[in-house]
Amino acid sequence: MTGPDDGPAVEVRGAVKRFTRGAETVTALDGVDLRVRAGEFVALVGPSGSGKSTLLALLCGWETADAGSVTYGGALAGRRADTFGWPELALVPQALGLLADLDLADNVLLPARLTGALAASRPRAGELMEAFGIDHLAARAPHQASLGEQQRVAVARALLLGPAVLLADEPTAHQDRGHADLLLDEVVGQARAGSAVLVATHDEVAWGRADRVLSMRDGRLTEGAPR
Amino acid sequence: MSRPPLWRLAPWTRAPLLGLRQPAAVLAVLVTSAILACAAASAPLFLSSARSAALQQQLAQGCAEVGWGQIGVDSGPPVSQAADADLAAAWAAEGRVSVPALAFARIGTSDVAPGALPVVDARGEPLSLPAGLLYRPGAAENIEVVDSVDGAGVWVPQTYAEASGLAPGDEVEVAGVPVRVVGVYTDLFRVPESTYWCDYRQLYANDASGNTAPPALLLATDEATFYAVTAGTGAARLAQVPVAADELSVTDARELLAAQARAQGRVPTPPPATGAFVPNERLPGVVARAELIEAGLRGPVVPVAVAGGLLALVLVAAAGSFWADRRATEVRLLAARGVGPLPLAGKAALELALPALAGAALGWTVARGLIAVLGPADDLDPAATTAALWAGAAAFVVGLGCAAGVAGLRARGTAERPLGAAARWPSRVPWELALLVAAGWCWVLLRGQDAVRQDAGVAQVNGLLVAFPLLAIAGSAVLLARLLSALLPRLRRWAGRRSPAVFLAVNRLAAARLATATLLVAVTLPVAVLGYTATLTESSQTTLDAKVGVQIGTTGRAVTSVSRFDPTPAIDAVGTYVVRYGDGSVPAPAGQDGDSAGRVDVQVLAVDPDTFARTAFWDDSFADAPLPELLEALRGPDVDGRPPVVAAGLAPGPADLELGSLAVPVQVVAEARVLPGRRTADPVLLVDASRLPDVDRSARADRTAEIWTEGPTAPAVEALTAAGGVPLRVVDQALVLNTANFLGITWTFGYLSALAVFVGVIAAGGLLLYLEARSRSRVSGYVMARRLGLTRAAHLRSLLLELGGVAVAGLVLGTLLAAGAVAVVYRRLDVDLIRPPTPLLDVPWTAGLVTAVLALVLAGLAALYAQHAADRADPASVLREDA
Repeated sequence: MTGPDDGPAVEVRGAVKRFTRGAETVTALDGVDLRVRAGEFVALVGPSGSGKSTLLALLCGWETADAGSVTYGGALAGRRADTFGWPELALVPQALGLLADLDLADNVLLPARLTGALAASRPRAGELMEAFGIDHLAARAPHQASLGEQQRVAVARALLLGPAVLLADEPTAHQDRGHADLLLDEVVGQARAGSAVLVATHDEVAWGRADRVLSMRDGRLTEGAPR
Repeated sequence: MSRPPLWRLAPWTRAPLLGLRQPAAVLAVLVTSAILACAAASAPLFLSSARSAALQQQLAQGCAEVGWGQIGVDSGPPVSQAADADLAAAWAAEGRVSVPALAFARIGTSDVAPGALPVVDARGEPLSLPAGLLYRPGAAENIEVVDSVDGAGVWVPQTYAEASGLAPGDEVEVAGVPVRVVGVYTDLFRVPESTYWCDYRQLYANDASGNTAPPALLLATDEATFYAVTAGTGAARLAQVPVAADELSVTDARELLAAQARAQGRVPTPPPATGAFVPNERLPGVVARAELIEAGLRGPVVPVAVAGGLLALVLVAAAGSFWADRRATEVRLLAARGVGPLPLAGKAALELALPALAGAALGWTVARGLIAVLGPADDLDPAATTAALWAGAAAFVVGLGCAAGVAGLRARGTAERPLGAAARWPSRVPWELALLVAAGWCWVLLRGQDAVRQDAGVAQVNGLLVAFPLLAIAGSAVLLARLLSALLPRLRRWAGRRSPAVFLAVNRLAAARLATATLLVAVTLPVAVLGYTATLTESSQTTLDAKVGVQIGTTGRAVTSVSRFDPTPAIDAVGTYVVRYGDGSVPAPAGQDGDSAGRVDVQVLAVDPDTFARTAFWDDSFADAPLPELLEALRGPDVDGRPPVVAAGLAPGPADLELGSLAVPVQVVAEARVLPGRRTADPVLLVDASRLPDVDRSARADRTAEIWTEGPTAPAVEALTAAGGVPLRVVDQALVLNTANFLGITWTFGYLSALAVFVGVIAAGGLLLYLEARSRSRVSGYVMARRLGLTRAAHLRSLLLELGGVAVAGLVLGTLLAAGAVAVVYRRLDVDLIRPPTPLLDVPWTAGLVTAVLALVLAGLAALYAQHAADRADPASVLREDA
């Protein structure tokens, strides 16, 4: 894992992304430039519909830019994002993306199972679930847990393998303050362990704990928190 | 401003158009409604088709004229040609065109026509042989001419001409009228029977006895000759309305008979002393039997159709639930605003009415098409078509109501159901036990009844024999699926230590236990029903064939003769030579009553061991040893001077056989349960013909020589004639078996097989709904799992394991249930209790293999479809929508 001063782990230059909705063309990203270094925790803020989720989708390879480029540094240099494994790029999507057929523990452990590291990851999974207060829900199906509990499972899953890049879309949106702080503690800890962390959030506490805050409005990115 | 009533709000007024915006839900309702309507409409169409086919098949077995309209008079003198005009006019008044079919007069001096005037030859000597005079248009073109001269007069058969010394050109005097002999033709009983003469057989052949010659048939060349001769005697005249028997429905036949009765009523009354009307009296019997066959079918078919309809209704309900799922956003909103299940059901009904109506129409059309292509006959009664239309309409109303009701409840339930709530109580009650209890009750009732009933010679399957296994299969399938699904949590723990594909597949199955169990039942049921019905159909047919084969002695035919002749190489080439002694007897075995002399009747077949096995009908169940081995025993040495015999119905040991009055002690050296050629319930003995002493006529042993052949009749008759024998009769399947007697059984199981295929279609529809209903979670799970490191191949493997696993489990369960049902039932399904053998088991392995392959292929295709749907998903959109 690279250190905080080893150059950008993620770099976006002049990214443009447009969607067509009927006769209307919506510009979700309008010349976005972004750099996140390894070990850096960056908070991405902005109103709903400003393009935050689109930027995250672009970074994880689910969307492609109409113009501009997305590059990764360090061990990920030269590769496309959609080829990254979970240890390389982990994600907490806004929709959480829990597998409805698996219980919560299996959801947390799924990346370890799919990368052949199941046995080695069990202790860490247990720690994370305990830390997030969801260890007693291990055998429940996602639909048998609250949205906040599901969200903590999604964050635990993202943190399990200590990813080089962590992208999170509103990871504390459904949490009370206490649980939100717990999540933020772990996310900050992951950054301090060397991960490049980009979190889209409305949570002002999260802004305060981030190394940098970037504001997004109408598809454009500016440095600093919104006024 | 007051709020408008609910039904005037946009969600309801725009519902029919809104529904069309959900193609998947529209398709689901359309297809499921079509399946329901098809099930409902198929029963009346099938019954009508079976009735027509029963009529047509009976008519096909006889002469064409059996199905024709016919009126006529059989009267004494004076006979005039005017009667023919009366008959034609009577038919014309009914709007039907008739043909003069027959004018027949009995003449001569025999008992056949007491009081008839003699035929006198040119020398004035009366001819002693009886004769009949026939005029029928085209007769001269349908005879084999021996010799002829031009002119009007009569044709005489060759044997009559030879016996009477007549030749073409001679003059005879018939009933006092001079007539010229214009030709000699080969006797009709000596030439192969033709369609033209088929219905006139009683005029030239005497099937009842080989010894009494039929009256000679003189053929008048023209009507003038006929009426000149018969003016002073009497004659029967017929006018017939030909119809195509292979297109006749029972309604057509009934209308024809009604027209016949009215037409006959218009014919002037014939002279009262000897006159009589002669309408077609055979057709009403055929029609009645066709209706009897249909009545026998109705018992099993209607409940089966209802059961199929109920299954289809479950599918329609699932489609309603699917609609609620697809319209979840809107119905949740409406439910949250206080809209109850009933208005939501109304909205669903409005949205689904158009596809349901289209589906019902499609289902009716499909049912009609299936009956036309696969049904017993394509000639349906108009009333059946109307009944099927009403059934389709009822299916539309009930189906729409069911879909809408379930949609309303499901929509409401979606909004109100708390997270993690336990399963509702109806899903926990083992309703299937009621099915098993009902099956047991049917079985108890069946034990006191015949499984196959004979009503006026028509075999009918007892409805309980159909209900019992179907109820047992359905109940067991649901119960087993419930028990197996209860094991899924354990399977889940096991899968935790397996590959990702296995792990995901098992977790998907375990997470949706009810859906998994339903899918398992949906696969198990058609497999079990198809296995059961196909096996019973195959076994019934095999048993029937075996009964016919045993009765005849071979799968082909037996040409019999009372003449004495020796076997020749030509006979060996066409089959095998058998001498049957019908009047044999042995001392009654211990514990069995005999006649006054303490003896019991046996049939003895003297055979050629070298050729017998080649032609004789045999099934390995007939004896513990194969037939060649039994025949080899016939070649063994005498035992205490007794030639060896093989017996069916007689224990091994010495037997003091008597053939008529001749004592022929034999030794039973081998035993069989059934032997070919057994035509009575008496025991049968097979003996090497060369080991039997000469049994002459004085012994009165009822000796008949037979040629058994698997080939056509003509070569056998030729070989028999060449050997010096005179053919007496041909025993073949048509003679032994009135096929129409067993149509009810064949069609009952045919319909059940169709039901199984139908249930299979329902299962396929259920599979698609299962996939569609879970597609949202499957696709989002796939998208996320791909990011987590799941490969596409592993995901596809998991789908194949998930769906293939259910298919394999369903195949195994279905096969076991079918095997159990067959084992319990098949011995009771004796289609003809009188004839041996008892029911034989014949497993349709090919059909089973095809079913298994189809189920697996279907599962594989479904997995590929699901994978394709997942591949097409846009990850960003899926995870955004899921939010």
